[in-house]
Amino acid sequence: CESELDLEPIVEQSAADVFDDPAAYEQFLARIYAGFVVSGQQGPAGNPDITGIDEGFSNYLRQYWKHQQLTTDEALIAWNDGTIHDLNWQVWTPANEFITAMYNRIYFQISISNEFLRATADVPESEFLPAAYKAEVRFLRALSYWHAIDMFGNVPFVTDADPIGAFLPVQGSRQEVFDFIISELTEIEPIMIDARQNVYGRSDKAAVWMLLAKLYLNAEVYTGTDQSAQAIPYLENVIGAGYTLHDDYDELFLADNNTNGAQNEFIFTFNSDGLNTQGFGAMTFLVHAPVGGNMSAADFGINGGWGGIRTTSAFVNKFSASELITDERANFFTDGQELEIADVFNFNDGYAVEKFRNVTSNGVPGSDASGDFIDTDFPVFRLADAYLMYAEAVKRSATGDQGLAVQYVNLVRQRSNATPIGGFGDITDAFLLAERSKELHWEAHRRTDLIRFGQFSDQGIWPWKGNVESGTTTEAFRDLFPIPSTDITANPNLTQNPGY
Amino acid sequence: VVTEKGTGTPLLGVNVIIKGTTTGTTTDFDGKYQLKVSNGQTMEFTYVGYKSQEILYSGQATINVALEEDASTLDEVVVVGYGSAVKKDVTGAVESVTSDDFNGGAIVSPEQLISGKTAGVQVTPPSGAPGSGSAIKIRGGVSSLSASSSPLIVVDGVPLDQGNSGLNYINANDIESFTVLKDASAASIYGSRATGGVILITTKTGKSNQPLNVSVNHYTSVGSNVNEVDVLSSTQFRDLVLANGNANQISQLGNTSTNWQDQIYRGSLTTDTNVTLSGGFDNSNYRASIGYVSQEGTLRNSQVQRWTGSVKFIQRLLNDDLKIEANVLGALLDDTFGNTGAIGAAVSFDPTQSVFDPTSPFGGYTENVNNDGTINTIAVRNPVALLELYSNTADTKRSTGSIKFDYTLPFFRDIKLTAKGGYDYFEVDGNLNIPREAASNFNDEGLVGTYSTLNRSKLIDLYANYKKDIESIKSTIDLTVGHSFQNFYRSNRFNNLTGVGQATGNVFKTENALESYFGRLNFSYDDKYLLTFNLRNDSSSRLNPDDRSDFFGGLSIGWNIIDENFMKDSKVFSQLKLRAGYGETGQQEFGQDYGYIPRYTTGDGQVQYQFGYNTDGSPRFVTTIRPEEYDENLRWERSKTFNIGLDFGFFNDRLTGSVEVYERKVEDLINFIPVPAGTNLSNALFTNVGNLENRGLEINLNATIVENDKFSWNTNFNVSFFENKITKLFLTDDPTSPGSPTGGVAGGVGNTIQINSVGFEANSFYVFKQVYDAQGAPIEGAYVDINGDGVVDTDDRYRYKSPNPDAVFGFTSNMQYGNFDFGFTFRASLGNFAYNNVASNTGNVQALFGANTINNVNSSILDTGFQNQQLFSDYYVQDASFLKLDNLTIGYNLDNIFKDVRIRVYATGQNLFVITDYDGLDPEINGGIDNNFYPRSRNILMGLNLNL
Repeated sequence: CESELDLEPIVEQSAADVFDDPAAYEQFLARIYAGFVVSGQQGPAGNPDITGIDEGFSNYLRQYWKHQQLTTDEALIAWNDGTIHDLNWQVWTPANEFITAMYNRIYFQISISNEFLRATADVPESEFLPAAYKAEVRFLRALSYWHAIDMFGNVPFVTDADPIGAFLPVQGSRQEVFDFIISELTEIEPIMIDARQNVYGRSDKAAVWMLLAKLYLNAEVYTGTDQSAQAIPYLENVIGAGYTLHDDYDELFLADNNTNGAQNEFIFTFNSDGLNTQGFGAMTFLVHAPVGGNMSAADFGINGGWGGIRTTSAFVNKFSASELITDERANFFTDGQELEIADVFNFNDGYAVEKFRNVTSNGVPGSDASGDFIDTDFPVFRLADAYLMYAEAVKRSATGDQGLAVQYVNLVRQRSNATPIGGFGDITDAFLLAERSKELHWEAHRRTDLIRFGQFSDQGIWPWKGNVESGTTTEAFRDLFPIPSTDITANPNLTQNPGY
Repeated sequence: VVTEKGTGTPLLGVNVIIKGTTTGTTTDFDGKYQLKVSNGQTMEFTYVGYKSQEILYSGQATINVALEEDASTLDEVVVVGYGSAVKKDVTGAVESVTSDDFNGGAIVSPEQLISGKTAGVQVTPPSGAPGSGSAIKIRGGVSSLSASSSPLIVVDGVPLDQGNSGLNYINANDIESFTVLKDASAASIYGSRATGGVILITTKTGKSNQPLNVSVNHYTSVGSNVNEVDVLSSTQFRDLVLANGNANQISQLGNTSTNWQDQIYRGSLTTDTNVTLSGGFDNSNYRASIGYVSQEGTLRNSQVQRWTGSVKFIQRLLNDDLKIEANVLGALLDDTFGNTGAIGAAVSFDPTQSVFDPTSPFGGYTENVNNDGTINTIAVRNPVALLELYSNTADTKRSTGSIKFDYTLPFFRDIKLTAKGGYDYFEVDGNLNIPREAASNFNDEGLVGTYSTLNRSKLIDLYANYKKDIESIKSTIDLTVGHSFQNFYRSNRFNNLTGVGQATGNVFKTENALESYFGRLNFSYDDKYLLTFNLRNDSSSRLNPDDRSDFFGGLSIGWNIIDENFMKDSKVFSQLKLRAGYGETGQQEFGQDYGYIPRYTTGDGQVQYQFGYNTDGSPRFVTTIRPEEYDENLRWERSKTFNIGLDFGFFNDRLTGSVEVYERKVEDLINFIPVPAGTNLSNALFTNVGNLENRGLEINLNATIVENDKFSWNTNFNVSFFENKITKLFLTDDPTSPGSPTGGVAGGVGNTIQINSVGFEANSFYVFKQVYDAQGAPIEGAYVDINGDGVVDTDDRYRYKSPNPDAVFGFTSNMQYGNFDFGFTFRASLGNFAYNNVASNTGNVQALFGANTINNVNSSILDTGFQNQQLFSDYYVQDASFLKLDNLTIGYNLDNIFKDVRIRVYATGQNLFVITDYDGLDPEINGGIDNNFYPRSRNILMGLNLNL
């Protein structure tokens, strides 16, 4: 009977057999891309990638968004889920389950990327496994490693050279991992498909340039050395690649933003679909959660709001009184909403933000007739961001073209009926930080931006920061999240971030 | 003629011997015998299972003897796995409960029969859902963390698939006995699956040479809920909304008064009828039964109808050298599942609203809507609508059975060969239908679904037994060696289609197998000194090939002190035996059959990803595959148990009992735990890490208080004390680690209330220490700064109690006076705590107001006045110790009304009262988190047993 004990999976496929069908390479690649928007292998939920937290909550984009937004002046949440308010209040601990989920999501992406590279290491290039696949997987891994050092500093460092199973990863310093990401991106750049030449949804050279520019722009935070000058050539590459600002700001965030012209501004997206790419994180969260009070769910192409996220007066007040009327980016819903937040748990306190919707440019609801799931794609990198980054890099490095910087800022502002700035002198730190917030609010950039401008923790005050209604500063060590206690326990090689 | 004393039935094969000689005979089919005897000689009548009798011959022509069944536990034969043993020779902690001692009442799930009957076995009664099963725990049931802690259940020698739910396919009337192998030295004959203990169920058998016996049993039971969750009355609710709500919220108040819990519950009716035929001939015997149960739940629209059938046939051939035993148990269940979502909805739905609203598009039910009249998707639904606009029915087919051949070798009569084949089959086919007007699925325009499960296992056992009395050295050797193979296949699928055309579905299939070689040696010297040695080699397909095969076993010794010369004349002791044993058992029953194999899962149609466009311009979606986490070194979890027991009997067994102490150490726990980030393909997986310890003390006492022809009174009292502690949890010992959170609760998403930590009990509650004001009321949000760092944050949670009891008690009394009988069973539990999640979730002002709705709240708000949820306050961790009167039966035998017909009528009350300090619905919550529990009903039943 001994052979009766060597049982193979029935529904799943063994690793030995799965690539007998060469289409599996593309399917594996698709899974790594999908890793940012779905939560498991059964939609919308049922077979999660990571455990220890509600599956819908566990989604990468949902967590990344929460970490980048709820910790800032741009968003406050009304729910009572676990320790979620510790993000709003900047009082989190290493046991925070949301921080743990974010961290686990990052390492899930890194691990399956490593597995892809191991599984294909000895497989020759073919029509089923073009060279670009491996390069794109390395790009996605670099993207997650960027998130890792941006949020957690010194992090476990594993690559496809490591095995699966019983070992304890070493802790790479922020500098070491930064250098690794740069070298990876530099190495894959020539292999990646040319800018705007890959199919929609996959990454290309421009995505690599954009990520390189992000790293160099933030290099002082990550390495202690300003390297913003090195961002400029990559941003020039992006800007010169043929992307165009879409004429209607609101349409960037609609159900048909993959076809309505907005796609010409998008450098890299996380794709969503109401019927084929479902989950309770990602865009489902980003469209449902901000709808509540007197807002009409139908206007958002959904069957109901979740009454969760709205914004603080600190963000609203970045727009002048006239801008609130004229600037298309000031999309606030105020009927029945109070500007100031007396009760964190009351959705009606704080203006609601109308940004992501599941209706097309013609007002038609998305493809899911039940109104649960969302067609809208999430712009990870878009041209307007590159324009503002260029201006910032020029300002920071005192290199590059100041005239172009002004021109780019004004392209962004004029698209939304904001008044043009007069000249390079108007591009101050305060201006850049505010302008990025106005243009890119709720697109998961805010925490990184605040830290780069030194306004996240021990500087900068907004309502409810520090769990004080009027806001207070917090400890500087909160510029980094703690390594989750689960991993500190599991891996004795790790040293906790200072302060935790 | 020799007859049975109780029934008058003639007994075949009774030995009649003249004492002190070898002269004798046996009785025939009619119980008759003939023997030449001289005056003054003593005739000895002996028969297995009966008390022997001696009669002095003094010239009688006829001597009629009525032999009495021997109730003495000493000679009781108990099954021990791959064979049986006389209780006197048993060296492990083995306890038997036979049908005479079973609980009465409306018992659809047979494990209830032994609830409260024996120390070390906890049977948590099922929830009120019809047909639901009980949780069984042996010795505290904390033998593992992520793998199964449930006992292995073996029905007539067939180990059941631990993935199949419940025993409710067995008609309680078909069960002869439950035998519990509690300690590892006894259970280790089932090595790989014995860590949680083993329960051997033996079904009834017909007796040889008996005419056809027909028995008919029937009862009818009515049930009703004892209690309801304390929520605000409509008046209290109105006052609270008026005091706290804004204009919009106040405007939503209705003007009626509805008790939603009254709307969803009802009185329930259960009827149970079964007919049994049994009898036997010279070389064969048979028993067959058929039963029908219809059981309603107290939740409206919940019901189960069950047909059961059993057949057991034994044939002896070749001068009794070959014995063939075949049996089949089967059940067809027709389930109607009420929507249990209504239970939670009923405690939250606005009590000022009426059930119906003539203008409602939602089937005419009042529902929470948005300002524009569309359904409010995140509000609580009308509880009555949840029940009525919902249909979930399933047909279940379950059967187990086996055929066994016992062959005594003609030339080596000490050797018996056994071959056995068995199966366990379980199939469910269900249909789900939610109409389009149902508010719960209004946006989907309804839902139609089907689901099915098919699990089957097959068993092949081959073993040989050698038994020899070697009188020259006053020893007995009893050796069994064998091989067993069991294979399990499990599958399920579902397909749902919404009214708007969204189809979802999933298929799951899995398989595992176990192969074992086992041996047992019983050696006794002079009937006083006993030794049992078990050894088993198990291989599991679930574990990595290099480590999948391992040895388990146990050694135990017994000393029948009572048989020593110095005890022979004791007037006090009638039994005294000391036992000690050590055993090692394994565990591999966890939720993953391929945990050591690198493998990929294909995503379904809803988790595809868009890569560009098809040639027709439509988005091109690519199916995804995901690599799964695995531990290529997955190996056995191993338990080491030490057990000492003392069996005693006093005053000619008027008082008998046993005391056991044990300690169990579990190593290499198969635990689902976080792995170092980046080292595997998910954040947690099943791997071998962690240790835990259990210890306990068990006392069992049986007393015959009165015993005479007219009146008898027997009682049983048992108590078990438990302790458990986790001694290792992670690969590295990090004293700063709080541990591994567990025990998800309602109130927000993703909150957990329990934790597993090194040095503490499994599933300890992990909470803040509430601060109280001078009046003893909790101060909202005020908690003790446990770590003294000046701030109260999540680091100030502490471990406070656990759902595991410190001690459980059972007390049974049975009286018989003439034709009357009267019995009851009490059960008590001390030191078990429960988290009142119903109160913590909704007992606050915040819970009054949802997204554009108002909701009823738990009455605890009147005590606490909490504005916001205080989920983690230890205020909600409450002592759930209890005393329950499980059942009480009064019966009357109408023996002499018709000739040859025996009739018993009886009345039973079940779940008659509970004494507890716990504030929630019922203190007995398996797992300790009380959240919208389907209430257990109180049942009163009338029954009739007929034997002809």
